[in-house]
Amino acid sequence: MSLNSNPFQALGLPERPDLSDEDVHAAWRRVAAATHPDRPDGGDLARYTAASAAYAELRTPWGRSEAYADLAERPDGPVTSPIPAIPGDDEPPPPPWQPLLALTQVPARIRRGRPLRLAIRAIIAAVLSLLVLQLIPGTPAAPADVLALVLWFVLTGRKDLAPPPER
Amino acid sequence: MSPWAWLKFTIFLWLLRKTIKLTGWLLLAAAVIAAWPVTVVAAAGYLAAWLRGWPPARLYRTAAWALPATAAWLAALEVRAPGWRPALLAPGRAWAHGWDHLAAAGLGRAFLLLAPVALAGGLALGGVLWAWRIYAITTGLGGITASAPIIFDARQWNRQTRTALGLTKAPGAVPLLARGGNIPVGGTIRAIGHRWHPVLALPAASCTRHMVIVGATGSGKTNLMIRLWAGWFTATLQDARAGRGDRPLLVVLDCKGGRDARLKADRTRRLLYGAGARRVAIWPDEARLCLWDLPADELAVLLYQMIDTGTGAAAYYADMLQAVITLAILAPCGPPLSTQAFLDRLNAKWLAGAWGDGRHLAEAEHARAAARHLPDIQLRYATLLRRLGPALDGPGRLEEADAWYCILEGTRERSVAEAQAMALTELAAHAATTLDGPARAMLLAADDYSAVSGRVPLSNLYERGRSLGIGVQVSAQSWQGLGATEDERYRIAATADGGIFVLHTPYPEPLVALAGMRRVLETAHKLIGNAWGDEGTTREQRAWTADPDLVRRLEVGQACYIQRGAATFVQVARPRPSPLTLLPPPAQPPPPALAPEPRRDPAPDPWPSPSGLDDFFDPGDPR
Repeated sequence: MSLNSNPFQALGLPERPDLSDEDVHAAWRRVAAATHPDRPDGGDLARYTAASAAYAELRTPWGRSEAYADLAERPDGPVTSPIPAIPGDDEPPPPPWQPLLALTQVPARIRRGRPLRLAIRAIIAAVLSLLVLQLIPGTPAAPADVLALVLWFVLTGRKDLAPPPER
Repeated sequence: MSPWAWLKFTIFLWLLRKTIKLTGWLLLAAAVIAAWPVTVVAAAGYLAAWLRGWPPARLYRTAAWALPATAAWLAALEVRAPGWRPALLAPGRAWAHGWDHLAAAGLGRAFLLLAPVALAGGLALGGVLWAWRIYAITTGLGGITASAPIIFDARQWNRQTRTALGLTKAPGAVPLLARGGNIPVGGTIRAIGHRWHPVLALPAASCTRHMVIVGATGSGKTNLMIRLWAGWFTATLQDARAGRGDRPLLVVLDCKGGRDARLKADRTRRLLYGAGARRVAIWPDEARLCLWDLPADELAVLLYQMIDTGTGAAAYYADMLQAVITLAILAPCGPPLSTQAFLDRLNAKWLAGAWGDGRHLAEAEHARAAARHLPDIQLRYATLLRRLGPALDGPGRLEEADAWYCILEGTRERSVAEAQAMALTELAAHAATTLDGPARAMLLAADDYSAVSGRVPLSNLYERGRSLGIGVQVSAQSWQGLGATEDERYRIAATADGGIFVLHTPYPEPLVALAGMRRVLETAHKLIGNAWGDEGTTREQRAWTADPDLVRRLEVGQACYIQRGAATFVQVARPRPSPLTLLPPPAQPPPPALAPEPRRDPAPDPWPSPSGLDDFFDPGDPR
């Protein structure tokens, strides 16, 4: 299969992992009947071939889930070349200021992770912190409560970030 | 003692017992109410653990994470009123202060004042109560009905799988590589004997030892293997960049072949590029290797082993074959450099010339003696090497790429695939031991090796890997697929010191037996009618560490990791590269394949057009 092909599209199916065997079979029959080369009008061999390959890929639940997952990984276009021989020496060791560079990636990690959930967590932590500062201002418990909320946000929000590069 | 006195005494004792019991309950209720912020947190923690299937360890760790808030509270107190005494009395004062707020209906304010202590204490208390509940139910001390332990376990399993599945869907929860160079596998469902962590992560060193993966088709084995390969590659590459080890070299033998193997190869390649690989070669579709780069003596042995020789009377011909191969490969002029050069040497004239320098009289005599067999031997090798194809005829060396994905057509052409597997493992062994070029940390992974294990049993591959210091990872679809005999299967499984992953498989008993048994308590109750009485016995029993029935019921993507007499059930996360990874630029789209034109009947010749008639009859004047 070409890396750029979309088997769901080839069969005119929605890109969903929960399609049934019947859905795929019906779509295949529909496309095959319309494009078969033995039709009086000659059919459409290219489309028929693509649909045939797509059917072979999507006819099992496992194949559908794999194809769907492949598509889910693809929208940003990270398509690799067949044999990109990448010459060059070993990469230099990471600079000592690598942790600081990691901080600059945080906005991108937020954007490519689950920003909505992260935003909800941040709003909850902020609202509760404001509530603490409003209800018990100036008490020793106030900074401790805010610290607890910050810790909760950091510890639970980490998994909503996309992983850093090469991890 | 009169009957009346005995009756009074008995009633007195009964009342005393009940009073003590009631007093205990009242005291407990008073404590629960008095320490209501702790009670609220403990109840919330207990409820969350019950609903999400968490183990008590999760609550203890959360309590530990709340301690910095407690420390900050104490520090703030210290700043306000220096000295240890005020700090010691602070919780009591805060508690008393809280009651004032309670009287003023400021429940929220009172809770916030006590939260720095209540959070840590309440979560720890919730963990203790949850641990007691689990203990009581599993040992038969708790529960209302006799089936309570079974129902409790089944419900908790469902909740644990749901929680683990949710964790694997979070983008940052299960990356390809965790901190400390560990390889995350997926969300932990249940840990028995192992220390519980939300995400099961293996040290990269586990992959450099031997590892076995067994799972039926469609059980999620591919995802697991690709994740382990990518994780090992990432960890080893980062170590190499930091100067702590050698650059990785991953060699995958996909022994079933076919279309699925190409899709897997493609996925693996994308992940490895994301991890920083410079070149990932797919053999034989896109890259070649050179069999003739092997040292001459190893090449001679390999070429001999690649041919079926038989036993009994055929042993004579086998000896003859070996002698001829040795003469052809170890000739004074050096080993052959290509298939054609090798076949040219299987010729009486060539051998006589090569060994006829007067210094190798014995070899020259052997060459003369074998002359009449040479055409047969040449024919056999010509046939074999033609079937193997050009992919082993070079150019190319394993060291030239960071990873090789080798596809062997084990289901379509078993004999060819077996010979290819022999050659590839020999090349991998040579790459592991060669002193040319920088050393490489190597992992040899064989997927469905049983499809090609006819010539080289899996146990040999294992022992070879161990002796060469390379990690070997093998997968099979079933226990029977691991080896031809029970002895060989046990030899493979029992030496998997990197661990064993068992996915859904109908016969897991021999594998889960390697996790051993654990001691459990079994309580028998005396039944009175249909209800439990208050008498019974508890005794120690043995139970599977990894329950085979649980393994049989594993869903797609769930696995049981067995190592060192303990087991962890895990929901394997699909491996994905970080979306922030810089990947090579997209390839140019391949040129469209030339499809044959659809078949059409030839159309009849058209009538000549009017302008055509003018070619025969002059156009003449327009009328």
